[in-house]
Amino acid sequence: MEKKKGAHATRRAIWNGNITIGLINVPVKLFPMIYDKEVSFRFLHKHDGQPLKYQRVCIKDENVIPWEEVVKGYEVGKNEYVVFDNKELEAAKPESDRRIRLDKFVHYLSIDPIYFQRSYVLLPDGSEETYSLLLATLQKMGKAGAGKITLHTKEYPALVYAYKDSLVLTTLRYAYEIVDPQSFEELKELKGPGKTELELATKIINDLSGEFDITEYEDRYKQKVEQLIKKKLKGERIVVEKPVKEEAMGLMVALRETLKQLEKK
Amino acid sequence: MGELPTKVELTNLNKVLFPMLKIKKAQVIEYYIRIAPKMLAYLSDRPLVLARFPDGVDKEGFYEKDAPEGTPHWVRTVKFYSKTARRNIDYILCNDIDTLIWLANLAAIEIHIPLSCADSRQKPDFVLFDMDPKPPASYGDATEIAILLKEILERLGLKCYAKTSGKKGLHVVIPIVRKYDFRETRAFTRVIGEQLAKEVEIVTTGYAETEKSGKVLVDYLQNSHGRTMVSPYSLRVVQEATVSTPLEWSEVKKRIKPTEFNIFSVIERQDAWKGILEERQKLEVE
Repeated sequence: MEKKKGAHATRRAIWNGNITIGLINVPVKLFPMIYDKEVSFRFLHKHDGQPLKYQRVCIKDENVIPWEEVVKGYEVGKNEYVVFDNKELEAAKPESDRRIRLDKFVHYLSIDPIYFQRSYVLLPDGSEETYSLLLATLQKMGKAGAGKITLHTKEYPALVYAYKDSLVLTTLRYAYEIVDPQSFEELKELKGPGKTELELATKIINDLSGEFDITEYEDRYKQKVEQLIKKKLKGERIVVEKPVKEEAMGLMVALRETLKQLEKK
Repeated sequence: MGELPTKVELTNLNKVLFPMLKIKKAQVIEYYIRIAPKMLAYLSDRPLVLARFPDGVDKEGFYEKDAPEGTPHWVRTVKFYSKTARRNIDYILCNDIDTLIWLANLAAIEIHIPLSCADSRQKPDFVLFDMDPKPPASYGDATEIAILLKEILERLGLKCYAKTSGKKGLHVVIPIVRKYDFRETRAFTRVIGEQLAKEVEIVTTGYAETEKSGKVLVDYLQNSHGRTMVSPYSLRVVQEATVSTPLEWSEVKKRIKPTEFNIFSVIERQDAWKGILEERQKLEVE
């Protein structure tokens, strides 16, 4: 198999709006930069290979409950809930104002990477000049702009900075989403090492020092599963018979006729 | 009920793709199924460029060269380095009806082909004269010039074929042996274009000149590596659901309307380009 270095980019923007710095506006489009590459499976019925679906089943009488009859409950005690319908929660969601206001600039290297969540590429949206100005300035100064962005109705702290000759936006975790390691008692009782042990350990680590290269790491479970899939593709494969939907019936006639014509050729 | 005899899982069949005529995706897929016996020969072995409009032709669409995420394993692709994208691109090849159905299901309304095949990318097998009338120059003007072009080429002993672009212009194509590079075919088109410009005042070969005046641009730059033309029988992204349609020369008349050739009318036609792929001509004049 060929070794791929990076993920494929999609050509569809997931967000567009403006970076705002004081009175300056830079219209931009946002493209995902991070892709989770996992092998995904569907659950099938063992006997006939039919795909299985999830249903919401009442714990008491085992009846299947349709979505229209579902509301959300916030658990406040055992079997005690505060109830919301979807409209109430919708109304509380922040509106995306299509704006990334950068109100503070900080040195990029001074930001604790533990907060970094997900990165996106920003492309100019008819704003090539101001975009390249902002890019060049951030590159020159090594700074990142800090602000907020609303994506899918969730508001995130975010950084905008220069990365590989482009502007990149990284959403950040909130402070309360991150555990302080010092909250573990075990760490508080830690004793410092002796001088000779420290010297020896330093030497070992020095011997093993080098450049970090992410491409040296591979998901071996994923590779194994992909190899298994390839093997299985060559051999047996379950093809599930699917009923033709009504809207596809016309296509079936067309396709049968065309296939006959193609066979004649 | 049986099963649809295709590997493609069809989705969103009721989505309206041409709102003015209320044409749904199911009808677009049916069009590509029914046109396949004529169209596949022109797509085969050519790395495709798609114009996808999943939300309909009145909404924003996008061009796509790269086989998208989720491309089925049975779709053939070919990897080439793209200078503009600065990376390798997995181009889609459409040599069978299942791939064509899959493309239609992706709402790839327009399918564009290069003038050369994947196995000889630098040696085109088509020379393209793209005749693009800039208003007030009209479609009628473009057809007149196409006829004149045909006469010039006939004098050189070359057979050529015409198709509607489906939009404003006309395409005239010479099938050639895979022997010349794009520099040579471009030079050839340029010389002929300039000859046309000498004979008819309304013709030009320069972009700059068309901006201001009602001229017909004979665009020789289309004969370049990496450039594509809309495939014969591809639908176009216009509300009238026109098709880039191969024409008999007897049909190339001043009164011809490009909208006559559309998703409804083209299926029944004979293939006016039949035999073009076997007609391999040399450009040297003897």
